[in-house]
Amino acid sequence: MNCSTNNPAARRYMWRFSVTMLLYILFLVLAVWVFVHHHPTGPLAWLLALLPALAIIGQIAAFGMYLAEEKDEFQVALGVKSMLWGIGGTLAVTVVWGFLENFVHLRHLDLILVYPLFCILSGLAFGLLYMRYR
Amino acid sequence: MKNRLRVLRAEREWSQADLAQRLEVSRQSVNAIETGKFDPSLPLAFKLARLFETTIEKIFSDEG
Repeated sequence: MNCSTNNPAARRYMWRFSVTMLLYILFLVLAVWVFVHHHPTGPLAWLLALLPALAIIGQIAAFGMYLAEEKDEFQVALGVKSMLWGIGGTLAVTVVWGFLENFVHLRHLDLILVYPLFCILSGLAFGLLYMRYR
Repeated sequence: MKNRLRVLRAEREWSQADLAQRLEVSRQSVNAIETGKFDPSLPLAFKLARLFETTIEKIFSDEG
């Protein structure tokens, strides 16, 4: 992704990313605090548990919007390639972990870690691709 | 895909950034196309041809 300030699509993406990241942190802190201090149950517990996830879904949607709005086809290709590497890498790691967890009782991998793993792998792929096409 | 972008650009004394600005893409995109690492879409190829007042075939070649 071209993050230069003269790229409106990238600017809008950075703005949406920042907002959803801020919401994620706020919702997570709120959910943890309420669960620790008030032990909610029923619909409120469901709502609080889903709030951070909704922020992450918003972040995924923000990237989709960036790909739809970006006029520079090379940057779109770079974004899509990074995402594919991220998806492939995440699937590979989780499927290997899953089998190890089942057969050799490796420590349980919390599903909450799948999205950060995807972000890290996509980010690494983007960095490597960016260097390649620099 | 081979191309003559570097030559055409040099004839006009344009930098990659100049060409990128005229095409409304990033400099990185121009570099990727110029070095043959990225093949542009047909609309972008037409845009290049119009900019250099020539045809797509005179810019790009699928030989080699």
